[in-house]
Order: sequence, then C-alpha cells, then structure tokens
Amino acid sequence: MERHPRPVSAAAPSAGSFPAQKLAGYGVAAVAAVLVLYPVFYLLQAAFDTGDPVARPPTEYGVDNFAAVFNYPQILLNTLTVSFAATVMALVIGFVMAWILARTNVPGRRVFEQLMVVPYYLTPLLGALAWSMLGQPESGFINQVWRALGGSEHIIDINTAYGIAWVMALFEGSVAFVMIAAVMKSMDPSLEEASQVMGASRLRTMLRVTLPLVIPGILGAAIFVFAEMLGSFAVALVLGLPSRYYVITTAIYQFVQQYPPRIQLAAAMGVSLFAVMFVMLFLYRRVVTSGSYVTITGKAFRPRVVDVGRLRYLLFAVCVLYLLAAVVLPLATLLFASVQKIAVAFPSADNFTLHNFSAAMSMNAARSALGNSLILGFATATIGVPLMGLLAWLIYRSRLPGAGLIEYVVMFPQAVPRLVFAFGMMWAWVVFPIPIYGTMWLLLIAYLTVFLPLGVRTISGVMLQIDKSLEECAQMCGASWTFRTRTVTIPLLWPGLIAAWLLLFIASIRELGASILLMGAHSKVITPAIVESYFGTASELTATLALIQTLVIGAAMIVLVAFTRRVGAHPID
Amino acid sequence: MPPMVASSKPHIEVENLEVNFGAVPAVRGVSFTVAPGQQLTLLGPSGCGKTTTLRAIAGLEKPVGGEIRIDGAPVYSSARQINIPAEKRGLSMVFQSYAIWPHMTVFENVAYGLRVRRTPSAEIAEKVDHALGMVQMRAFAGRRASQLSGGQQQRVALARAFVFSPSVLLFDEPLSNLDAKLRGDMRLELRELQHRLGITSVYVTHDLEEALAMSDRIVVMRDGLVEQIGTPDDIYGLPRSAFVADFVGSANLIRGRHRADLSKDGLIALETAGGQLIYGTAYGRPVGAELTVSVRTVHLQICPQPPPGTPNVWPVRVEKTVFQGDFSQLHVAWGDQHLVVRCAAMEPVPAGSEVYMTVEPRRVVLLAPEAAASA
Repeated sequence: MERHPRPVSAAAPSAGSFPAQKLAGYGVAAVAAVLVLYPVFYLLQAAFDTGDPVARPPTEYGVDNFAAVFNYPQILLNTLTVSFAATVMALVIGFVMAWILARTNVPGRRVFEQLMVVPYYLTPLLGALAWSMLGQPESGFINQVWRALGGSEHIIDINTAYGIAWVMALFEGSVAFVMIAAVMKSMDPSLEEASQVMGASRLRTMLRVTLPLVIPGILGAAIFVFAEMLGSFAVALVLGLPSRYYVITTAIYQFVQQYPPRIQLAAAMGVSLFAVMFVMLFLYRRVVTSGSYVTITGKAFRPRVVDVGRLRYLLFAVCVLYLLAAVVLPLATLLFASVQKIAVAFPSADNFTLHNFSAAMSMNAARSALGNSLILGFATATIGVPLMGLLAWLIYRSRLPGAGLIEYVVMFPQAVPRLVFAFGMMWAWVVFPIPIYGTMWLLLIAYLTVFLPLGVRTISGVMLQIDKSLEECAQMCGASWTFRTRTVTIPLLWPGLIAAWLLLFIASIRELGASILLMGAHSKVITPAIVESYFGTASELTATLALIQTLVIGAAMIVLVAFTRRVGAHPID
Repeated sequence: MPPMVASSKPHIEVENLEVNFGAVPAVRGVSFTVAPGQQLTLLGPSGCGKTTTLRAIAGLEKPVGGEIRIDGAPVYSSARQINIPAEKRGLSMVFQSYAIWPHMTVFENVAYGLRVRRTPSAEIAEKVDHALGMVQMRAFAGRRASQLSGGQQQRVALARAFVFSPSVLLFDEPLSNLDAKLRGDMRLELRELQHRLGITSVYVTHDLEEALAMSDRIVVMRDGLVEQIGTPDDIYGLPRSAFVADFVGSANLIRGRHRADLSKDGLIALETAGGQLIYGTAYGRPVGAELTVSVRTVHLQICPQPPPGTPNVWPVRVEKTVFQGDFSQLHVAWGDQHLVVRCAAMEPVPAGSEVYMTVEPRRVVLLAPEAAASA
C-alpha cells in the first residue's frame, strides 16, 4: 500500500475550484429573484403611478392612489367584517377540534385527525359553490326544504358577510386546527401534572398553567388565519359578487377586469393589502418565536388525555358535524346537483340525468381548460421540483454567501395574495419583449413563482432531516458536488421530491387567484373556468366540472397520502 | 511498530489556524504538526474548537486565517488565498454519526470512494472484500445500513474511510455513540488497525481515557486555543496548566509561597497560606515567588504510620469517604485546605480517622507560571 498517495486530482490551488456548485446555486438564485422581484417591481410602479394610466412607463409618481383607497370605506369595512368574523369562527372550530382530538378520549381520534386535513385539500372554492347551492335565499336547497316544512322566505342567506365568513371559516378551520393542535401537542404534560401534584385543582391548573402555555400559540394562529382571510379571494368572489358585496380582493379583481380598468387604484389596493399582511405575518413570526414557551423545544409530547366520560359521545357528534359541514355536505350537494337537469331540493324521477357529465366533457371550453390544467400541473411540478430542490439546497445546505437573502426572496410570495401577485405579473409581462402574455407560458411562470414557498418548504423539510454528514462523508470520499448530489443527496431526498411534485401538481390544478387574471382566451384553465361557468351557465354544469376537478385532485391526493405514509413524511407542510 | 520514529518532515502542519462561526471565533490561532504514521488526538471539553479544527483540516469548514499543509503543500492558506475543496484534499474521515448511507448496501457504502476514483470493478470487489475483512464485516456485505447495529455501522464507516488508501484519516469522536463496553473494545481495535495501516490520523475526542489509550500525541484544547501538546505520559504526568491537570484526570491544586531557603535535593519547597510545607519537582519550569503545584488524587497515599524516607508526610483527618466501586474517594483536611485522595483501599477508612498522608515529590508537579492562574 502506498503510504501517501497524491490527492485525487492535482487541482489548481485556487479558491474557486468548484464551479458546478456555484454556477447551479447562483443560477437558480437569479431565476428565483427574477421571478419574484420583476412582478413586484411593476406592482409597486403601478401603485405609485399617478400620471396618465395608459402611458408606460409612468409619467408621474405620487401617493394619490393610496389616498384613493380610502374613498371606498365600504370595501375596507366589508373586508374587516368578513375577515374578523371568519377568523373568530375558524379559531373556534380549530380550538374545539384540537382540544377534542388532542386532549380527550373521544372515540375514533386517529381517524378524525387524519380526516381533518381533507377540508384543506377540498378548496374553499368548492365549498363556496356547494354552499351557494345550499344557501341562496331563493333557490338554496336548505331554504327549499325550509319552505317545504312550512317556513316562509328563507332561513339562511349565504350571500352575506356572515355567509362568506362561514364558508371561509369552515375551510380555514382545518388550518387553525393543525396549528393549535401542534401547540397542544408540544406542551409537556408534566407541566400540568406538576401543578396537580402541588395540590392545585383541575380548574386552577387549566387557568394558571394550561391556558397561559397555549395562548401564545393560539394568538399566533389567530394572526396567521386573519392574514389569510384578508387575502382570500375565491369564497368572496362566488358568494359576494351576486349580491355586489365586495371585499378588497374581489374589488381589485373588479377594478382590473372592468372597462376602463383602474389599474393604478387596484395596484394601490394590492400593495396596501400586501403591506398589512406582511406586518401580520411578521407579528406572527414574532409571536411564534419569542412569545411562546411551548414551541421552543420543538419536541412532540403525548398530551395527557382527559377522560370526559359520557361527554365523549357529544364531542364525537361535534367532530362528525364539522366534517359533515365542511366535507360531506358540499360534496353531496355537488353530486346531487350534477345528476339533475335542473337542480332542486326535491327532484322528480325524470329530472335525473347523466347528461351533465357528457356535456362537460364534450364542451370544448371545459375540456381544453381541464387539459391545459393537467399540462400546467405536470409542467409546474416537473420544472418546479428541480428548481425548488436546488433553491432549498442553496438556502439550507450550501453555505454560499447570500443564502439568507435568497430565503427572504423565495418566501416572499407567501405574504402576497396570489391575485395581487398575478396582477403585478400581468403588468410586468405585458411589457416583456417576448410576447408571452395570454399564453400558457405566463401561467407556468406564475405558478412557478407563487408556489416557490410551498415547494421549497416541502423539500427543505425533508432535506433538514437528512444528516449533513451523509453529504460531507461523500465529499470526504473525494466525490465532486455533481457526483455526490447524484449518488447521495438526490436518492436520500427522493421521497421529499415526489411529495413536492404531487403537492405542486395539486396546487396548480386548483389555483384560482393568479390564473383568473393571467389566463388568455386560448389558455383557459379549470378553476377559473368553473367560476366562469358558475356566473355564466347553469349551476348543474358547474357542479359537474367542480366534481371532475375534485376527482383529479383526489386521485393525486390518494397517491400522495399513500406515498407519504409509506415514507413517514407529513403531507401538510 | 514504533510510530514515533524520527521522520524527516511532518505530514500535516497546522499553523495559526483561525475559524469563526459567524462572528464568534471558534478556533483562535492553533498550531501543531503530525508526523507520518502518527496518531494525534485533539482533546478538550465541548466547545473548545477541536471538532472545528478537524473539520478545517478536512476542508468542511472554511477558516479565516492561518495555513494548513499536507505533505508540505498548502490546502488552505489565508495569506496565499488557497482553499482546496474537501473532495480534492485526498483525506478521509470517520464521522461521529457514522454517516452510513441508508440507501446503499454495506458493499456499496465501502465501494463509494473507489467508484469516485473510477477503480475497475474487479479491483473494487477485491479491495472492498479486503477492507470488510479487516473490520470483520465480510459477512454483512449485502446488508443495508438499517439492518446494522451501532458497532457494525462503526466498522463499515471505518472500512469505507480507509479502503481507497487516503493519505490521512480523520476521526470525529467516532466512538461517542457506542455504549461503554463496546467503546472499550473498539478503542483497542481502532488502535490496532491504525498501526497495521500505518496511516497518519487525527482523532477528536472529549474522552480522556480514549485519548490516553489511542494517541501518540495529544493536543489539549480550550476555548479555541492549544493548552498543551505532548505524549499521553506528559499530558497525564506533567500537566502544564491547572486546566490540563483538572481536565485530564482529577488533581488537587496547591498554591503557596516558594521557600528557596528550604529547598533541597533539587526539589522545590512550597509553603501554603495555612503553613503546610510540601516538596515538589519543577521539571525545568521557571520557579517564581508564588507557586502552584498539581497533585493527582491517585498519587496521594494514606497510611496508618508515617512512612520513612520522604519529606512529604503529614498527619491528616479523614472527613468523608465516598465508595465509588473501583476506588474510594477520601476527603481529608490538610491544614486549612481540603484535599481529595483516591485509593483502591481494600479496607474502608472511616470518616474521622486520624491517619498519615504522603506523596512522592516527583508526583508534585509545578505548573507553568503563566498557565497556572487561568484555572
């Protein structure tokens, strides 16, 4: 054995002798920066443009557009009313469900806990469509039943602030649940046991120990949910537009779509909304990182389960009721409407038909929209995974200078409602020298941009679980960056990459806020097509389209859940 | 094989190495050399910079100052702006977590470094087989990492590290995740293997016994600085500073005035504030007016009668006895000071006994003056 063999290859002793690594790292960083910052720049430009709205670039700058936002106090009030009501309801749902499923011995806890993520994947749009069919004052099924039972007028009206808030809360409730349940599970049960051992009663323990410990977490969830509500679009669009009830997102959409469009005002509204959400998410991070005692360790405990006796059957009913309202009832309603000629609560036998399904599939618009969505889903996921995988590696593993800054840029779309982001993109890519506006290319770019945080977080979640020394060891064995990435990093990351692919695919297929502004006449996609169908054609056909979309997403979901269960990852990031 | 044979040139040279973690300095100017075939151990408490130093040699941390040379050629030099990436330094490393790739078999794990070097497959099969034989893991070649115990993973990591004949092997606390019994066995095996391969190695540990048993030379580190460099005997027997005396084993530190007038037979005499007189050895270290000496707890002896022929005999009272299995720890009152004595006493010495304590003057070690105060 030779005693001191030469190093693997006689490299020129220079500081920068790993170009592949740097090239790939800074390459994707540049792509991400362009994707995110280019539209943001144009969004800001439009918001501060007080000159001739048709002239580009702007002739004058000022803050008049922001002052003009306050000419619409009703819209701001509506936004606050809906967001506040929805946040309160979502927190109640989230807290009650989290407490029941994390701390009591309700029957079927495991199954319920699995089912709690379903509303999140069903999408608020689907809920809004279904609840619109259920709760419209005239034709809503519930009100039809009410009148059949002898009532007069209507018992519920979904086209109101509280109707909108209710549907939003049903779906955001599962997000609140995930956050609050995480807080409850991260609390060391011995903290409560210590209080009881010292002689405190159950009530005193709850007031003096349990509540103070979980309150920062709940406050964090409240801020996060409120920010989400401020930026939510689909429910307010479907349920608010018929009664001309506008919130800020639907108003932005209206101002962009109307003729003549009021681009500058819409931009100022978008920037204001984004600024408020940014502050809220900043607060959220502060609360979660500094205010909470229980999330510091990040360790999961098995929470102490309270035996609630007979009450458990009542709590069981509460869980069933929630899942009925958020999942079963909406799906059943859409199915019920989709098999009727004219959707009514009490159809006669000859009203039933399967014609809607063949009609939906033979309708050129719907078929091409579904086809486009599938193509975009595949393309977004397939391009997104390597792009976001490299970004995750760059941010969390490469230790190249500037990685922290890249993280901020990549996570930026998180704080901006997709509608507002898409607005910036529309404005940016219209003036782009290559004509991609109105094509599928623009939608692809938009999806890759708005889903950057989703993809990067999913992949980095798995990446951070991989012991760093596994890669370092390959390096010590003499493997170059490309070799060790191919033989060690990617094979270890494979489950995370597949999960990210499926999540990106699902997210693309159900995307509304960005697509509705950016799709062109020849690049229609399924979710906005469903909304168009809802406002333009019969609700039976809309229900059918929504069901078909749900089937596609459901199939992808089943693959995802089966896959993540096998590799032990969690589908919700 | 005597590893300390005089060799012309050091194999690894570390010179004024400085590494920062963000703005925090982790290594603050460390220098040492390793001779070819030698095993050098970096020893110190957690946070002392030993692992960072090792990773800087490996090329996994980028230093901010100093120079690292391997075979005389710089792999890192701040002055000459050289920083050769880890994969091109021709070193190899065994990680604390073993870092066995879970998606490969044992064979593929070990073969990795050879595949990187585009070794012909017949040669790979032969070398992997040989390496697995050396760590007694031949029977496990087809297994996956998840099917191995900690000790087995350790052996695979070792085979993987030396199979491609690297010029230097680096060990980052490789035994710290094993249970105590296995650690003792692996310690001997590692030492044996290192001798057989004759490979230069740098070993990081916080475990004193491990360092003493396995090393040709030890670098004791503290707060990013070198505290003392020497053979295991030197480090244990002649600690230079209070920190080394205390960290490497357990020792009593005694401070006092130099009584040059009472010195005799080449010994130094020290008088404590309480008036106790103790004779010690300077070992060539400068003798000032105020002295600190270190006496290992195992070198103090308790006897019922004063032994003849030694200047260091005192009547003492045993205040407390703690039985600790292999030895008993006695707390004795010595003048106005309390000393700790460890003895393998067969018969227990009850608390309150009046006995005699003695220590050979060569076991009373003068600490270097500038290092003595820093404890």
